[in-house]
This record gives sequence, structure tokens and C-alpha cells, in this order.
Amino acid sequence: MDLRHLLFTLALICANDSLSASDDILQRPQISKCRSPEMETFSCFWTAGNFYNLTVPRILQLLYKKSNEEDWKECPDYITSGQNSCYFNASYTSVWTPYCVQLASKKEVYDKKCFSVDEIVLPDPPVHLNWTLLNTSQTGIHGDIQVRWDPPPTADVRKGWITLEYELQYKEVNETKWNELKPRLSTMAPLYSLKTARDYEIRIRSRQRTSEKFGEFSEILYVSFSQIGIGCDHCTEEVEFPWFLVVVFGVCGLAVTVISIMLSKQPRLKMLIFPPVPVPKIKGIDPDLLKKGKLDEVNSILACHDSYKAQLYCDDLWVEFIELDIEDPEEKNRASDTDRLLSEDDLKSHSCLGTKDDDSGRASCCEPDIPETDFSASDTCDATSDSDQFKKATEKEEDLLCLERQDNDESLPDLASTDPQHQHRNTESENSSVWAPFEDSVESPHLSVHTQISNQNSLTSTDFYAQVSDITPAGRVVLSPGQKSKLGRAQREGCTEQNFTMDNTYFCEADVKKCIAVTSQEENEPRVQEQGYNEDGYFTTESLTTTVANLGAPTAAAPSSEMPVADYTSIHIVQSPQGLVLNATALPVPDKEFNVSCGYVSTDQLNKIMP
Amino acid sequence: LLNTSASLLLVALLVSHMLLTKEGVTSLPICPKGSVSCQLSLEELFDRAVKLSHYIHFLSSEIFNEFDERYAQGRGFIAKAVNSCHTASLTTPEDKEQAQQIHHEDLLNLILGVLRSWNDPLIHLASEVQRIKEAPETILWKAVEIEEQNKRLLEGMEKIVGRVHSGVVENDIYTPWDGLPSLQLADEDSRLFAFYNLLHCLRRDSHKIDNYLKVLKCRLIHDNNC
Repeated sequence: MDLRHLLFTLALICANDSLSASDDILQRPQISKCRSPEMETFSCFWTAGNFYNLTVPRILQLLYKKSNEEDWKECPDYITSGQNSCYFNASYTSVWTPYCVQLASKKEVYDKKCFSVDEIVLPDPPVHLNWTLLNTSQTGIHGDIQVRWDPPPTADVRKGWITLEYELQYKEVNETKWNELKPRLSTMAPLYSLKTARDYEIRIRSRQRTSEKFGEFSEILYVSFSQIGIGCDHCTEEVEFPWFLVVVFGVCGLAVTVISIMLSKQPRLKMLIFPPVPVPKIKGIDPDLLKKGKLDEVNSILACHDSYKAQLYCDDLWVEFIELDIEDPEEKNRASDTDRLLSEDDLKSHSCLGTKDDDSGRASCCEPDIPETDFSASDTCDATSDSDQFKKATEKEEDLLCLERQDNDESLPDLASTDPQHQHRNTESENSSVWAPFEDSVESPHLSVHTQISNQNSLTSTDFYAQVSDITPAGRVVLSPGQKSKLGRAQREGCTEQNFTMDNTYFCEADVKKCIAVTSQEENEPRVQEQGYNEDGYFTTESLTTTVANLGAPTAAAPSSEMPVADYTSIHIVQSPQGLVLNATALPVPDKEFNVSCGYVSTDQLNKIMP
Repeated sequence: LLNTSASLLLVALLVSHMLLTKEGVTSLPICPKGSVSCQLSLEELFDRAVKLSHYIHFLSSEIFNEFDERYAQGRGFIAKAVNSCHTASLTTPEDKEQAQQIHHEDLLNLILGVLRSWNDPLIHLASEVQRIKEAPETILWKAVEIEEQNKRLLEGMEKIVGRVHSGVVENDIYTPWDGLPSLQLADEDSRLFAFYNLLHCLRRDSHKIDNYLKVLKCRLIHDNNC
């Protein structure tokens, strides 16, 4: 019983398999293509598929319909184009009329296609291909021929009913890949530089000029030069360029030249062709020290160089600063740190601060105590250039201090009076709690901080500056990251259209006041939009125009996380001795008398103007 | 001094003569501006017209293919391909026999009529196609180019008709086009189908005109022996 069961299931499985296999092959009848060779007649071809009930012929019908008709008509000619085809002669063909054809039996529609005759034009291949010799090369190895042909006889090119273009392809007899020429309108084509020792095959096909598809290829034309007695049997060995010899001799010659130069006693020639490779060298350090491994001496020498120190500590400093910020708030209560920063030692520190500004951040990283070690190490310091540089820095610093003092004599009181207000607003609008301790301690130090920072900027005379947000007990300066500008509002038409004579040095009070007059009447928007928003949190005079234009939003009105605090100003350009161009802050200041000539405007004065 | 200036003048004349009568130049001779009596031969006029009509048909094919590829896939536009063009009311020859039999003046008038009927739609096509979402630059450029070239072809044809016609030039063969609202429909599918339709009709009609002009050229200029 078990065996019979097994056999039975096996038989079932086999039967299933065979049935399903035959199902896969079963195909629907479908229209394979419709084609018009000359735009006067057309034919449609189809495949019958292998439905079992269609083996009886003529069950399948092709019905057609023109676009403006209602009824489906049957194919007029099933014979002329062969089996499974339908031929429409000229009387049934309208060229630009849409047709639809469908393949159907009595019960079911199997396939349907819609087209117009101008879209299905595929011309017959050209006929009567022949070639003639144009000329041969002097050696008789190569020759040029001209190939000619006639257009397909079915296409009426003479009356201009159809315009054809032709594509010629050729290859050597034993090659596999055909070379193609560009399609052309004329019925002749030259082929240049064919090898007379070889035989060639040529074939051509045509298409209607504005179509993309080509028709069938013509019969192949065989080209054999030996037939007309040109073929050169003993020319089969072609003279090829002696690459091998060239390479060998070239290498030898080059080697000889190099060796002779190296061995030559002429130092100048040697220098010219083989320039000496610069070896690494640090100023003031004897390479022998490094070799002998005396690291202590090397370190002390290197300590003279600011850049080395900065490299040593710089990146780490940032990390430390950030951490300290969060973890040790009480350290910041000591005003002595700021005093220390702002004390006479500043002069020394300026060598650090006065380093040329680049974006590396080293300038801000410099420790105040670095210059001190500089002095202590000066005994071992060989480099005199450092001290020179340092001296120059201090000289510059003195100049600016004088200059600054002149200006600040007037503005200091103002600055002092406005600063608390600045600070007040700052603390209101600033989110970070770190800032709170500053409220009490800070008036004059902040004033000096401002000044110092401005000095620093004037020294460097660049746009780069940052706000000192904190000073650690170690005397390190903590700089705050960039703050968003408080360039409050959306552009005010009236203000931005003002033609400030912004030649980047100053702008006139009159212009500023005009702008203010326009903006002052406008309502305060609680939402601060950022115009001329500068990622780094500072303003340049280029953005000043928009700054001025956008001022007006009172800071106290809507403190939000987006409300930036700009409680510092930087000197943008020093126009010594008349003026300093300061970047405007976005803080408005209560109205005060503004009394300055149209030479420059300082920050606080600008602040006074702004409503 | 006289000798050298005379020889220079002679050289200049020779060179200019050479340049003007150079054989094998593909560009057709140009009538100098402002000249009243200069007339291009009918052959040259037909040559230019055929070149223009071929170019217009080429551009129409391309723009239709690009539009089809970009917007018509999967929308079943082809299934609705039994569309009617606004120029269907003009009875144009539909096969070679009819094209052979029609009189050349009538055929010229028909060509003019079709070209005039397309003037308006092409202007609106060029402007409305800009509003299609993310239309490729090539489509935009082609639409504008077709519209320009159609104007030029119309001018050329009017010149030819003026030369060929023996009698009064009829101006009344014309079909108005009212498809502008369909190009501005809010529904994107319907709007794109309207564009598809219009471009399909444009391709067809430009092919017609190209063919008729070639037939006329072979008939009138080359005596049926192109």
C-alpha cells in the first residue's frame, strides 16, 4: 500500500509539472508590428500564439478603424504580405489619419494598436550597390573607393513624396565589428584608405529623414582589390614604426645624460638640473641637538617661539575653556582675573594678541602668561627676531592707545554710562545663566574690555574679533562663540533704499537720522528676523547698511532664544588719525544728543541715534 | 603711387568677386539690405522654405518625444490617441495621389492656411509651456524656436505665393484655435493631456507641410525629377 501511495503521488507530481510547464509557454496572440515602406501602403504583422483552439486557420481577424469612423472593418488583404499579416493598399491608406487595428477572434480581443502611417515608415533597403576605385597610394598599400547605390524602388524619391537618408557600414572580411559612416542624403559615399591587400564588405540601410529607425540592410557588397589587379601580395608586411628600438635607445640616451650630469664637475649645471632638496630645519636649533637626543634643550629653545607654544596648547585650551565654563561658575566672580588681564601686563600680552590674525584661532588662544615665560627664557633664546617682532607690536600698541585715549576722552563717560544699560539688557536677554554674575562686578572692566578688544582689533585691522565672555582664574580668556545678530526686522523699504555713502569708512549723521526717522515710526515686531546675518556674530560695515536699516526692534520687548546679544563693538577700520569705523550694534539706546561731525560715527553715538 | 593704388583696387575687386561667386558655399546669396530690385530666384525661395519646414518638423518631433518621455509615461495618453487637431477641418491631401492631383496654387494656399492656423497656438504654447512644473530647458527653448521659425516660414511662403500666383491671393483658408483654456486647466492630468495633444498635432502638421513643400519643389523646380 505504501509503495502504491508513493507511486501515485509521484505520478501526480509529474503530471502537475508537465501541465504547468505547458502553461508557461502559452502565449497570447499579439500584433508584432505595423510598417509602411513608402508612405503609400502599410502592413500589419502578428503572432498567433499557441492557444490550443486557434490551430484552425482564420479564426484570428484583424479589424481596423480610422479615427473618424465608428465601425470596425476587417482587413482587406490577408495574403500579400505573407502569413499572419494584413496588407492595406494605397486606396485604404491615408497618411496623416490616425488608425486603430485590433487582433480579435469572434469572442475576444487579444491586442490593439493605434498609430498613424507617417509614424511607421521603415523604407526598404537600397539596391544596386557598386564601387569604383578612386586612387591608390604611392606604395600601393592603400586605396580609396567610391560606393554608389540606388534608392529603394518602392520609395518615390523622384517626386519628393519621401526623403531618405542612408547609412553605410563596412568592415574587413574577417573582422566582426562594422565601421559606420554618418547618415547622408546622397546616394554615393567615398571610403578612404582601405588596405588593398584585404577584402571588404559593405552594407547600406535607409530611413525616412525625420525618423529615428532604419529599415533593413541591403545585400552585402564585396570589395576585393585583387579582382581589378591592384592587390599587392608582397605588401602584406606592413612597415610598422619600430617602437621597440625607439624605447631602448631613448632609455639608454637618457641614462647616459643623467649619469654624465651627475658626475660632471660643473656645480652650476648640477644645480640647474638636480636642485638641492631642502632639508627640514628649525630656526635656531642645531640639528645635532635633535640627533643627540637632548630634548630639554630643544624644548627650551622652542619655547621662545610663540607659534610652537600655541600649537602645544591651543587646541586643548578650547576644550578646557568649554569645560570650565560649565563646571566652575564661582571662579568667574573674581574680578581680579579681569584686572589681571587688563593690567599693565597687557603690553606684554599684546605680543600674543597682536599676532597676525588668521582663522586658526591661535590669537585668541594665547595665554597671558606666555609672554612672561618668554622673558624668563630669553637667556636661552637665540632668536632675536622674536623680540624684534615683539617690540614692533608694542610700538603699534602704544600708538593706538594714544589714539584711543583721544577718542575715549570724549566717549568714555558715555560708554561708561551706557554700558550698564547694555549689561542690563544683556542680562535680561541672555539665556545663559553664566552671565548673571557679571551684573555686579563689571562696569569699568567691561569698559576696558571693550576698549582692549577694540584695540586688539585695531591692531590687527581685520574683521576678526570675539567677545570676551569670561576670564578664568588661570587668567585665560574665554571667548564666546558667535552670536546671532540682532538685526531685527524684515527689510524696511524706506531704509534700505537709502543711499548711504558707504564707502566703507563712515556714514553721515544726516543719512543715519533719515533712516531712523523712517524706522522709528514702525511698530516693533516681536519676532526677530535675521538680515545680513553673520555666522560669526560680528558685523562688518558692509552689513552696516542693513543693520541700520533693520534697527528698531527694542531688545527688551521680546527676549527670545533668538535674540542675540551684541554688547560689544569692534573697530572695523582705523582711519587714522581722523576716524575709526566701528561696527554698529543692534542695541538701541535712549535718545541722547548726538553731536558729531560727519566724519565718523562711533558705536555709542550710533547707538544713541537708533531708536 | 597711381600704379600701386590701381593695383590695390584691382586686387580688392578680384578678391571680392571671388568671395561673392564662390562655388560650393552652402549659404544662399543674400540680397543686400534696402535693395528694391534684388530678387531671389524661386528655386532659392523653395530651398529656404524646405530647409525651414524640415527644421520645424525636426524640432516638433523632438519636443514631442521629450514631452512624451517626461510627462506622458504611465498616464495612458496614447490610449486616447484618437485625437482631433484643430486643423482637421482643412481638407488637405491625405495620400500621394491626392497630392499629385491638386493644383499647385491650391496646395500653396492650403499650406499658408495651415501655417496661419498654427500661428496663434504656437505663441500660446511657448508661453504656457513655461508654466509646466519643472519643464526642462530644452522643451522651453524648442517651443520658442518653433514659434519663431514658423513665422519666418510664413513670410517665405507668402513671398512664394506672391511669385507663383497668377491671380488674387486668397486669405480665407484659416482655422481658429480655441484650445487655450485647456492648456490652463487646473487639473494637472488634463492640462498635460492637452499639451500632449497639441504637440502631437504639431508634429503631424509640420510633417504634412514639409512633405507638401518637397512635393511642390520637385514638381515646380525640378520637374518631378528630384
